[in-house]
Amino acid sequence: MTQPLTISSWPQAILHLDADAFFASCEQAVHPELKGKPVITGKERGIVSAASYEAKARGVKRAMRLFEVKKVCPDAVIVPSDYETYSLFSVRMFEILRRFSPDVEEYSIDEAFVDITGLRRSFHTSYGTIAKRMQEEVEKELGITVSIGVSLTKVLAKIGSKHKKPNGLTLISGRDIHLYLKTLPVEKIWGIGPNTSAFLGKFGIKTALEFALKDEGFVKKHLSKPYQEIWHELNGRSIYPVVCESKSSYQSISKAKTFTPPSRDKEFIFAQLSKNLENACIKARRYKLAAARLIVFLRTQDFRDSGIEVKLNRPTAYPAYLFQALKEGFNNAFEPANLYRQTGVVLSGLVPDAEIQYALFDDNSKIEKMANIYTTIDLLSEKFGKYTVHHAASLASKVQAQHEGARGDVPQRVAELFKGENKRQHLGLPVLHIKV
Amino acid sequence: MTTDLRENRLKARIKDIADFYHHKGRMPSFSEIGEMAGIKSKNAVYKLVNKLEKLKVLERDDRGRLIPGSIASSVKILGTVEAGFPSPAEEELSDALSLDDLLVKNPQATFLLKVSGYSMSEAGILPGDMVLVDKGQSPKSGDIVIAEVDGEWTMKYLDKGKEGVTLIPANPKFKPIKPQKELKIAGVVTAVVRKYK
Repeated sequence: MTQPLTISSWPQAILHLDADAFFASCEQAVHPELKGKPVITGKERGIVSAASYEAKARGVKRAMRLFEVKKVCPDAVIVPSDYETYSLFSVRMFEILRRFSPDVEEYSIDEAFVDITGLRRSFHTSYGTIAKRMQEEVEKELGITVSIGVSLTKVLAKIGSKHKKPNGLTLISGRDIHLYLKTLPVEKIWGIGPNTSAFLGKFGIKTALEFALKDEGFVKKHLSKPYQEIWHELNGRSIYPVVCESKSSYQSISKAKTFTPPSRDKEFIFAQLSKNLENACIKARRYKLAAARLIVFLRTQDFRDSGIEVKLNRPTAYPAYLFQALKEGFNNAFEPANLYRQTGVVLSGLVPDAEIQYALFDDNSKIEKMANIYTTIDLLSEKFGKYTVHHAASLASKVQAQHEGARGDVPQRVAELFKGENKRQHLGLPVLHIKV
Repeated sequence: MTTDLRENRLKARIKDIADFYHHKGRMPSFSEIGEMAGIKSKNAVYKLVNKLEKLKVLERDDRGRLIPGSIASSVKILGTVEAGFPSPAEEELSDALSLDDLLVKNPQATFLLKVSGYSMSEAGILPGDMVLVDKGQSPKSGDIVIAEVDGEWTMKYLDKGKEGVTLIPANPKFKPIKPQKELKIAGVVTAVVRKYK
């Protein structure tokens, strides 16, 4: 087996697309004057969410604190995150991909897998040219660049999209697989973490190629199923399908928000927590889920976290039933001496709400009443915008601004509304901020 | 209230089954119905199917397999038709174009822009107006375009004449622009929206 990684045809053609510095690129697309400049998003969080390639070249890294950014790159343009615009770009990007193939997996806000097997015939061109066209259409219509990898499997396509960035296009055909795996450290493979790579190191496996060349007996003997699958994928045998259903199930739902300045005001901090809980529950109800466990966490000014997990006697997605647990968790975690900067909740143990078992002594009529109340609240939100009706416990988070001072800057999209728009409801189109 | 909830649930289940049928081109199996409805017990699924059969949502063939009933009709059902004067409203409205469809031709490439200057006032575009900009179209002579000329942004008529490209304002108080070094066209203006109240 001198050169086993040779497959001369394309039994499958899987494409992985990864937008380049997505959030920062969206900002540059709607603010053309920022093109070519170091742009950083995340002003409201105090840390870098995304950095444009110009900023990365100057040494700016993700999650760096903003005062450090000012040291390494004083001319960086730092803007507040505008998730609404990023989401619009994301949806559009996936729609553009669907012009080429119906099999699009929305892997994350800025990444997608596309199965383009068999499309050479209908487009009368090679897989590489199809990918090139996708890249060009996204750039023309959205004004952002993306990097693409095309290969026989998802794992290989992902190696391809990382190979050359930004605006890269890497085609890894069956006969070239070994060339791309030769220099790739094993821990850079999608799905292989530091533990597994350390374990493989014990057998002298340092590169992806060394791993791929191991025989099946070795892999079966020493590794569990997920890694056996990765091994197949590296060898060009597709195991992971492109799953094109939109995301409809969640393992857990978490909501966390930072506020400035940091606070030790117990009521205000609890209000922040309560707002996060309401938010998480809204999302859970949207997906018809109910949570069996609630995790409450607080983050102090100096980035120390304290968290408490509370188990519920019955899964629910109604804040009214969760306040007791929230309060208990909060009282346990809160220390008056600390200054806090962030609160968060995680709903976990999610089950479809149709499957909830009621306990023997539950008052069913009361539960149904509660269901009606929240159905009505959701309807009101749909009609008049989120938080039209909310719990009194969240009030303090509404009357006081989330961020005071420079961090309180809101995205331009929110600051400049069109007639008829309100604070919560905007037209579903991105706005070009050009003065003409 | 309880009956309301139940009815809604039943409706949702019928819709799930109909969606499944239209999507996959076959009826779901009992276990698939159970999965969609969140019912674990086969017996409960059986009861649900019986109920749906009574409602003529689905039928069973002579071997007991499910075949679609009312959910299969791909022919659009009109509103209840009464003898006497015809009510054309529903039939007429089924093809209605929304304002969105009318204004936004290519939804992936259309952006909003708030106008701030007067250079196109004679074309009826005023400060504060919202214009829709399509980045996907190739600009033609006579189109109103958003363009970057030698580092400055502007909205003008595009004129591709014999002696090169000129950007022409609608307002005579402004001067036509001939790009010296560089011209980048960000998009074509496809509509202007002005809301008064």
